[in-house]
Amino acid sequence: MTDPLSAALKIAGSGLEAQSTRMRIVSENIANARSTGDTPGADPYRRKTITFGSELDKVSGAQVIEVEKLGFDKSDFIEEYDPGNPAADERGVVKMPNVNVLIEMGDMRETNRTYEANLQTIKQTRDMISQTISLLKASQ
Amino acid sequence: MNPIQLFELASRQAEWLSVRQQVVAGNIANASTPKYLAKDITPFSAVLDNTAMVQHMAVTQPGHMASNDISADNIDIEESELNDEIGIQESGNSVAISEELSKTGEIKRQHELNTSLMSSFHRMMLMTVKR
Repeated sequence: MTDPLSAALKIAGSGLEAQSTRMRIVSENIANARSTGDTPGADPYRRKTITFGSELDKVSGAQVIEVEKLGFDKSDFIEEYDPGNPAADERGVVKMPNVNVLIEMGDMRETNRTYEANLQTIKQTRDMISQTISLLKASQ
Repeated sequence: MNPIQLFELASRQAEWLSVRQQVVAGNIANASTPKYLAKDITPFSAVLDNTAMVQHMAVTQPGHMASNDISADNIDIEESELNDEIGIQESGNSVAISEELSKTGEIKRQHELNTSLMSSFHRMMLMTVKR
């Protein structure tokens, strides 16, 4: 097993990476909240989901976190009546993406908090390492 | 040569603290992993008791292989007890970020105390040698 402190840095770093991927998915969902299909009756943008899993890093023996799966939200699309839309079918109904902006906002907040927590871990681990190093500096 | 007991104790605690920091970092990184249960390590006093009871291997010559009693092997990782206020979330995850952050703060504080004590004792020892 390697040094636990550098393993801690590695784990927190993997957490940062996972949370930034999650942020990417959230921004994709929000940006496409009103993306309809191109042809009449076509399916619009489908909401993306992300799942994490912990994995053993064989080099350092640390349990790092990784993006396990990028999936799609299988829930139904929202139907809106808008006959003027190019994507409207013969009834004048347009399928809108199954994205709920409020849920995405909540997800974004949570991503932000978790990212901050990981960043705090990195800061404190780094401080602990430099405290140990300064033991050498003080004793001249 | 016997290690100076105080320094040995301090380095053992520093090691315990760094292992704990690793476990807490793992908990925070996995704060949104489904079915992940928060982990913690055995308290330092238990680790100390365990290592004190370990009998040293009998050696016929001082140069022979010594049992290394300072190692991360006798620090066990266990599931931490459930925080009643947060409990297990819908996804089967039991990490309470606030609790983990307060743990890292405590670890850092203890580590700071540990290293400053070490350096001040070292200074005191040097003082006796110098003059």
